[in-house]
Amino acid sequence: MSEAEKRDDGAVLSGPPKSYGTIVWGQLRKRPSAMVSIAVIVLLGAVGVFAPLLGGDVPIRWVENGKVSWPVFHQMTNLEYVALAGFLLVLALPLTMRLFRRGGRGVGTSPFARAMGVHLLVWLLLAATLFLARAPDRAYKAYLDRRAQADGAWFPPIAYPRDPGFKELVENFYEAPSRHHPLGTGRIGDDVLIGIIYGTRTALSIGFVAVGISLAIGVGLGAASGYFGGWIDLVLMRVAEVFMLIPGLVLIIIILAVIPASFPPIWAVILVLGVTRWTGSFRLMRAEILRIRGEDYITAARALGIPTWRLLLRHAVPNGLAPILVGATFGIAGAVFLEASLAFLGLVQTASWGTMLNDGRQHLEYWWVWASAGAAIFVTVFVYNLLGEAIRDAIDPRLKI
Amino acid sequence: MKTYLAKRLLLMVPTLLGMTFLTYAIVRLSPGEPIEAWIRAQTGGMDPVSTFQQAEKIRARLGLKDHNYWGDDVETHLETLEKGGDAAKGRAAAELERITGKTFARDIDSWKRWWDANRADFEKTLIDPLEKALNVFHGYGTWVAHAVRGDLGKSIKFETSITFRTPDGGQSPSGNPFWLFAERVPVTLTLNVIAELLIFLIAIPVGLTAARYRGRLFDRTSTFLLLALWSIPAILMGTLFIALLCRGGQGLEWFPVSGLHSDDADKLGWGAYLADLLWHATLPVVCLVYGGLAYLAKLGRASLLENLRADFVRTARAKGLPERRVVYHHALRNSLLPMITTMVMILPAMIGGSVIVESLFSIRGMGLLVVDGAKAHDIPVIMFGTVLYGFLTLVALLGGDVLYAWADPRVRYE
Repeated sequence: MSEAEKRDDGAVLSGPPKSYGTIVWGQLRKRPSAMVSIAVIVLLGAVGVFAPLLGGDVPIRWVENGKVSWPVFHQMTNLEYVALAGFLLVLALPLTMRLFRRGGRGVGTSPFARAMGVHLLVWLLLAATLFLARAPDRAYKAYLDRRAQADGAWFPPIAYPRDPGFKELVENFYEAPSRHHPLGTGRIGDDVLIGIIYGTRTALSIGFVAVGISLAIGVGLGAASGYFGGWIDLVLMRVAEVFMLIPGLVLIIIILAVIPASFPPIWAVILVLGVTRWTGSFRLMRAEILRIRGEDYITAARALGIPTWRLLLRHAVPNGLAPILVGATFGIAGAVFLEASLAFLGLVQTASWGTMLNDGRQHLEYWWVWASAGAAIFVTVFVYNLLGEAIRDAIDPRLKI
Repeated sequence: MKTYLAKRLLLMVPTLLGMTFLTYAIVRLSPGEPIEAWIRAQTGGMDPVSTFQQAEKIRARLGLKDHNYWGDDVETHLETLEKGGDAAKGRAAAELERITGKTFARDIDSWKRWWDANRADFEKTLIDPLEKALNVFHGYGTWVAHAVRGDLGKSIKFETSITFRTPDGGQSPSGNPFWLFAERVPVTLTLNVIAELLIFLIAIPVGLTAARYRGRLFDRTSTFLLLALWSIPAILMGTLFIALLCRGGQGLEWFPVSGLHSDDADKLGWGAYLADLLWHATLPVVCLVYGGLAYLAKLGRASLLENLRADFVRTARAKGLPERRVVYHHALRNSLLPMITTMVMILPAMIGGSVIVESLFSIRGMGLLVVDGAKAHDIPVIMFGTVLYGFLTLVALLGGDVLYAWADPRVRYE
């Protein structure tokens, strides 16, 4: 190895050039705040997808007349399984990437894209199989009342019903935190910790799905607007301007107030947040594409006769995604935040932390209800903001000066 | 510059039209017409047939030739009740009971019998989607035609404004959205302008210190703490304040919990009146300030860092100016520019977001008016609110640009 290949810091330049993602990830790993927030986000995701194993009145293992059964796995819906599989597949991405990197060549599709493709395929196949072939057993059985008779039954650690009946209401409503109820009980005798655990699902699904919808709209329209220009750009910019000018919260309030009550509230929130908050990614994507359009590799790709859709999808859009990633991270925090505000204004009734906080506000003396919900919202919003900050610092070239 | 201003002002017109059309379409295409919503709110669940006749009477009186969309709703809900999933069935039954006042719960046969018997009354309300969409265009055209002549319609929910009276001592024109908003806009504006000034005053020294000692302890802690503050939802902060600091809460009883004035505020002298106002406004303003602080301090830090690295600062240092002078006269002045522009531009967003604080502390501001109006399908109030918000935002954007050009001679608009 010659001296010329050594850099000032002693690192040796060898092997294939580092990809942009690897550089950003390397920057991120140096930041403790980023690592901690990623850990907390994974933990929140785990709490969300494993919620039925953590709290509820459906036993994991049940013994009746000497027969062993696993009720919780029969009761979980297909959607729950699909979410669980998605979570595990995302966690397993680094492993698959390592596999591809070891066996792969230096050039061609990146290990990330290949691993992503394989996992997506597995996930879609699984989802299709589940929805086509499986009917969950959702019949309600009062397992908890027969707990004493069943030897060898395993219940979740917090074994209380999510929606308690009259007995619980009379005996246990607004009970202060104790050994039995670590975070106390709420208005109808419901365990607050169970509410927090299941609220994780609402918060994360609203965050991810709403941001996903708004990204799809924003990136798609932004790419079209920046690449084609002309009247398409003119019209799309006016439309975006209209959406930007009505303050977000006001527009959302107007839409939510007139959505019929028969619409499932969680989908109403997701849809409303998705279709009103796309302007940020639209502007970023448009600006990025305007910059990228003049680059040599785009001209080269066009000279090679690559069709426009492929050029946009493979060459232009991926190179403009970095700033949008930051926006998406903040967007998830913003969506959780907004959902809480909407529940607070009484515009939605989802099983969420916002609703808990709002209910708890009516009785300030039972502080454990609103304090728990508020703390959950704060932690979630904070870790996403921390991660967004860290990614922004990591991709900002000015910091490397 | 004049041409530029004229062009910008003219461009406001299509944007405002687009905004108002979007809002109008959203409100009108939703099921449940405003007049019925109003009658329902007045009487609770009552017989739909008589509600329908009553609505017809009101329409005739107001000179409206409008359609009633209930027929559509009933049919949709019946279908859901028959074929939908368990949760959807429950919701459909609840909606049917709310619309009709009957209590058949999930008994689909009873509902069908009732619908067959009463269907004739709804026949004319069953209109096809195309006609519904055309109605939106027609209705919007009517609204615009009236609005440009100064006729903003009458609020359905709000009868009169409290503050404004006509010069002869009578009440202001009943339910005119303009007067309803005229009463409430100053409240919201005052709160937000005070909050903005405070944000500015705190963000500058914080950003300045963080930039000067970049990477040191103050920089890192302030960035972290501001981000944490930013992540606290206003509802949680407000609830904590009310629980710990307000009368009737659990802790210190230092502040009043609702409104902007004491009951006897009218009798106070102006000094006491102002003190009373400040006392009431403290907590709401704090709630508005802490969130925006992080954003502006970060912006100030970034722009100062950039300026401290610039050539003119190096020149200033090279010619031997004291460090204080370099920082305050050369770097800071140039950094204030983007901060001021951003302040002006984020004001509309803050005003939009202040509805939470208004609701927390029961302040009669414009945010609450729009929320209440939206809940009641009160089209005149919603539409005028949209126009007002849009106009405020457009003016703020224009103001930001003009300010930028005025402060920075390099910027020229043609």
